[in-house]
Amino acid sequence: MRVSVLQENLVRGLSIVNRAVNSRPTLPVLSNVLLATEDGRLKLSATDLELSISMWVGAKVEEDGSVTVPARTFYDLTSNLSPERIDMELNTRNQTINLQCGGTDTNLRGIPAEEFPLVPEADPNAKIVIPGEVLKHMISEVAFSAAREDNRPVLTGIYTNFSGNTLTMASADGFRLTVRKTTLDFEVGEELEIIIPARTLVEIEKIIDDEDEVFVSVPDGRNQIMFHMGDIDVISNLIEGSFPEYERIIPANHSTETFLYRDEFLRACKRSEIFARDNSNIARLRVEPSSDGGPGAVNVSAQSNEMGDNTSMIDATIEGTGVEISFNIRYLIDVLNVLRDDQILLETNTSSDPGVIRPLGRDEREQFLYVIMPMQVGQ
Amino acid sequence: MQRTIFHLDLDAFYCAVEELHNPDLRGQPFAVGGSPTRRGVVASCSYPARMFGVRSAMPMSRAVQLCPDLIIVRHSHDEYSAMSKRVMTILHDTTPFVEKLSIDEAFLDMSGFPGEPYDLAVGLQKRINEELELPCSLGVASNKLVAKIANNMGKARQRTGQPPNAIEVVPPGTEANYLAPLPIRELWGVGPKTAEKMHEMGIQTIGDIAAQKEKLLIDQFGKIGYDLHLRARGIDARPVVIERPTKSVSSEITFDVDVNDSDELKRSLRQQSENVGRRLRKSGLSGRTVQIKVRWEDFTTITRQSTFEQPSHNDHWIYETALDLFQHVWDGTRRIRLIGVGVSGFENAARQLSLWESDDSKQQRHVQNTLDDIRERFGDDSLQRGSDL
Repeated sequence: MRVSVLQENLVRGLSIVNRAVNSRPTLPVLSNVLLATEDGRLKLSATDLELSISMWVGAKVEEDGSVTVPARTFYDLTSNLSPERIDMELNTRNQTINLQCGGTDTNLRGIPAEEFPLVPEADPNAKIVIPGEVLKHMISEVAFSAAREDNRPVLTGIYTNFSGNTLTMASADGFRLTVRKTTLDFEVGEELEIIIPARTLVEIEKIIDDEDEVFVSVPDGRNQIMFHMGDIDVISNLIEGSFPEYERIIPANHSTETFLYRDEFLRACKRSEIFARDNSNIARLRVEPSSDGGPGAVNVSAQSNEMGDNTSMIDATIEGTGVEISFNIRYLIDVLNVLRDDQILLETNTSSDPGVIRPLGRDEREQFLYVIMPMQVGQ
Repeated sequence: MQRTIFHLDLDAFYCAVEELHNPDLRGQPFAVGGSPTRRGVVASCSYPARMFGVRSAMPMSRAVQLCPDLIIVRHSHDEYSAMSKRVMTILHDTTPFVEKLSIDEAFLDMSGFPGEPYDLAVGLQKRINEELELPCSLGVASNKLVAKIANNMGKARQRTGQPPNAIEVVPPGTEANYLAPLPIRELWGVGPKTAEKMHEMGIQTIGDIAAQKEKLLIDQFGKIGYDLHLRARGIDARPVVIERPTKSVSSEITFDVDVNDSDELKRSLRQQSENVGRRLRKSGLSGRTVQIKVRWEDFTTITRQSTFEQPSHNDHWIYETALDLFQHVWDGTRRIRLIGVGVSGFENAARQLSLWESDDSKQQRHVQNTLDDIRERFGDDSLQRGSDL
């Protein structure tokens, strides 16, 4: 293999594919990145057998070939080379790659490409095409509430459903649920229902460019999803199993509607969180409608046995009855952090019924709903 | 700042409540408590009975020896708690600074109230006398220690066979003089052992303690010596604590006759567990530690406990844990005098509700709440398990 690439193109490619490298790989070769010439370009691939990322970088190929090199080391090295052309040549006998860049001469030992798992390529003509900006926005608003631990593996994934022209994504960790829907410009032929690991989507969110078009395919019988965008392919295993029936837990009605400015509410929650930290993260919300028809108020408070306490009174428009309800304040901060909308609506019933948060005044095509279970506190 | 502290105590409270229900008892020697043939004890005794030497906590059999005409009245605990609540309501109406010590006793911080402390005490006593028809005694002083001792002294002065309904005021500045002639056992913190040692040192009165060098008391008694020296001079800075945090909730039963019947012991453990669970839920508490207490027929007592990751207040969990602990200590034959269950290690009672609460646990919680409501409304005995009948 003899190939030349621009340092900045190579480094950008490595920074993307390296996201698939597990810091504790199950096979030694999985800590490596695959370099392979392909149709006059250099292909970079990394995988942890769950998630694979490939990227094609423009190159001048003089002799085809392939090798794998330690991903971390290769990135550390190339990111410290000068922004010039890098000439690489593989010595196939000892699987050592020689890099020449400016006055720098490096020899890096690799592992033969044959030992690297086969990374499939995505279908660049897939029928499902989602604008990068739309998918990015969706993921940013849904991935945060997936479960971190996998004692219920399906909950570490994002339920994803294509039906008609609607794409729905939902995540839940047992205490809260996010449902995000978007209206696509086309109809998906057959309904498609899958669970994508939250981690895959979080990585995709970081990789996508707003201008990209994302081609999505779910090949039959492979239990995989493939994303193709620009010069990048992301292939991920799907999570097997069935996602809980989340529609059932979305409250059908509510007795109080509280309209709040997101930013003000978020700051009140963050202040309370300081005091709630060593008290199971509990903060109490007291929703107080006004008696004279004027605006009401929401009182957010938390207390710590050691530190003291904090109470914030924020203005709100309230329709319905007053209520006192306690939440894990982190769950509120999480959702208020991912939304970008100026105003939100909090719907509540009693102190032991779930609360619902919706953004206000957003494009009807981009629906968002968050269900949060309260904490029950003694008198 | 000069403080004004009241110590209020309801005179022979259980007896006073019984007299309200049965006026024929007035002026009679009677005692509330268990049967003398089954080793009951005196929970409370009327002032006429006290003239015979009957005292609280005395075995009923002994009380009957002292006073052969003693009328024995069964406990009606629910009525005592209901009446106690009404008393506490009046106290809270008087000042927000009320520290409830027991069913019939409380401290009140009356600092800064307009008027003479004595007049305030008379006013409060009159209200309880008239609105609830209950006699009560008050000790008034600049701190809790002296107020409580003053109340004891005030009551002891009235040995008439009638409820004392006393008021004793110790004016500020006279605390040390007031305490000086009193025997050392009146001082909080002087138990039998300390008293014996002090007597050996020639210390008889509280004044004697105050006259000792502080260093000598510390050398002899350690930190308690330091505390006693302060207390003997009538100094006590402890505030009236409005709410004292509960550290544990427990329930125990002393059997009328020692028991070694497995079914009865299990039933009893379950009743205690349910009782504890209900009280925990009522106070919004959840604990991580379940403890059992077993007193064998020879009076030796053991406790065993088990601690869990997650706090709970679930009856079934308490019972299962208690039963498991019990089965590890009981050989199946040994006779048991007392059995008790407790829960401690409270953590924030907060419980994060789950999106997919299993229908079972939801139903269990629902049933438990319903049972609690019924018992709350109609009394502890309103519901029984089929297996208990």
